[in-house]
Amino acid sequence: MITLRGLTKRYGDRTAVRDLTLEVPAGRVTGFLGPNGSGKSTTMRMILGLDRPTAGVALVGGRPYGALRHPLREVGALLDAKAVHPGRSARAHLVAMARSNGIAVRRVEEVLDTVGLTAVAGRRVGSFSLGMGQRLGIAGALLGDPRVVMLDEPVNGLDPDGVLWVRGLMRSLAAEGRTVFVSSHLMSEMELMADRLVVIGRGRLIADAPVAEVIAGSSRNAVRVRSPRAGDLAALLAAEGVEVVEVEGWDLVAVEVSLERVGLLCHEHGIPLYELSAREASLEEAYMELTGASVEYGAAAGIPAAGAGARAGVAAGLGAVAGR
Amino acid sequence: MTAVMERAPGGSGDGVGEGGPGGFRGAVAAEWTKLWSLRSTWWGLVGAFVVMGVMCVILGGAVASNNTNAIAEDDQGVVAVGGIAVDAVDIVQFVVLTLAMLVITGEYSSGSIRSTLQWTPSRARMLLAKASVVAGVLFPVGVALGAVGTAVAYPMLGVWGRFSVGGAVSAALACGVYLALIGVFALGVGAVLRSTAGTLTTVFLLLMVVPMMLGSGGSKVMAHIADSLPSSAGRHFMKGDSVPYPAVAGLVILVAWVVAALWAGCVILRRRDA
Repeated sequence: MITLRGLTKRYGDRTAVRDLTLEVPAGRVTGFLGPNGSGKSTTMRMILGLDRPTAGVALVGGRPYGALRHPLREVGALLDAKAVHPGRSARAHLVAMARSNGIAVRRVEEVLDTVGLTAVAGRRVGSFSLGMGQRLGIAGALLGDPRVVMLDEPVNGLDPDGVLWVRGLMRSLAAEGRTVFVSSHLMSEMELMADRLVVIGRGRLIADAPVAEVIAGSSRNAVRVRSPRAGDLAALLAAEGVEVVEVEGWDLVAVEVSLERVGLLCHEHGIPLYELSAREASLEEAYMELTGASVEYGAAAGIPAAGAGARAGVAAGLGAVAGR
Repeated sequence: MTAVMERAPGGSGDGVGEGGPGGFRGAVAAEWTKLWSLRSTWWGLVGAFVVMGVMCVILGGAVASNNTNAIAEDDQGVVAVGGIAVDAVDIVQFVVLTLAMLVITGEYSSGSIRSTLQWTPSRARMLLAKASVVAGVLFPVGVALGAVGTAVAYPMLGVWGRFSVGGAVSAALACGVYLALIGVFALGVGAVLRSTAGTLTTVFLLLMVVPMMLGSGGSKVMAHIADSLPSSAGRHFMKGDSVPYPAVAGLVILVAWVVAALWAGCVILRRRDA
């Protein structure tokens, strides 16, 4: 379990992480999301004792990282796959790592085999591709058979086969009762991998909830209707204060309204229905909506379509998620 | 590849922790493994021995030719063979120092310092482990360099060389002690400055340029300052001088510099984000 209490990091007058309080539970895959510069990496670095918090504490299994006698046997982490000397072989890197924490050196061959690097273990790390470096980083995270596994962008640079493998690995580590804390930019990947989500923006906690709850809290959850009198229905819904986001020919999409209510309304007014269905927001849409206001390095044109119409719903979505 | 870890989540235990004690000894073992798994270490050592050999050929030959040429003022007479090796250390030390400082500055330039601190979160333990390995490697290397230097200088000096086993052994041991200490000094400076180029420049100025400039000034105060710098203190120690202070005082001054550099390195490592 990872526990953060009031964790804060300031660089001069810029606050990278602001008063972060949360718990990452064991036995689950917890996804860690946030736009670029939102403080994800800084948070992870503070958990590992690499950066000193300005205020607050980060605890692993109830203790600060620096107080762990054999940290690699408690926490396996991959922060930056390039944090390896390029002139050293993958095997030598892992052997040094094992010796530093009193880990049996035979574990090195085991983890090399687990990540599929046995054949290239004698090669200098500097000659590795991004994906191979990533696999070496994951091997290092697994080396000490730790209870807590923390990975920053683990699928970065991996081929589809590797992505699938990492997903399975994360799930099985969590199934074994370990704490798995993973950041990623790939929402579709997170949706498949994570049980819970922690979302931060501009260093602040935006959401800390199960994936389903985050999606359910999105205002992008919508009702889709197909009817020859879609225009009439749009007017009726608008009169009842329901937001109709799209009317095109026979198709209509309304948000923040239940299927039952739309169905009853059509029945009462004799509007024929060809289709009435729920359209669930994707995690990506829910995420865009949550973080729309806190994108640090947004593109000049603003946020693309998925988030654009949803800005207004940020407050509602926030309330739904954070107020659980 | 799909065979994930079959073992139950154990944390510390379950056969994973059979590899030794971890802690400080583990940190030393890791530093040892890291040092010898880089080609730069081997090249650096080869370079140090080559430079030692070349320097002793030049210095030994210079003594012999000065004694036999027409100019009387430059005659040195018969010199101790081991003393030539000690003189050569003035130059050889920079090859050895580069090796020592790379133990930490190489990790900053490659980013692997973040891995090292993940393995050994205590900054003091990490730096002391590096210092132990640097000293442990450079002492025998320094002794061997002193021995090689003496062996090369002996035939170059010919009749102008005074050889005794005791003198050669003590010169070699002195080289070992000096290079081990000055290597740890460079490591401490490297921990403070992080960059290889910055550390090499600083150490070169402090060990070579500044003492030369102060010594050529002719002022007594400046000469005293020069004598208190680590390279001068080291030379007085290695040569077994009694002026300006006894050899053992030179050793004490050198050790004080080493302790100060390590302490500064520790303090700054603790304060700074990795």
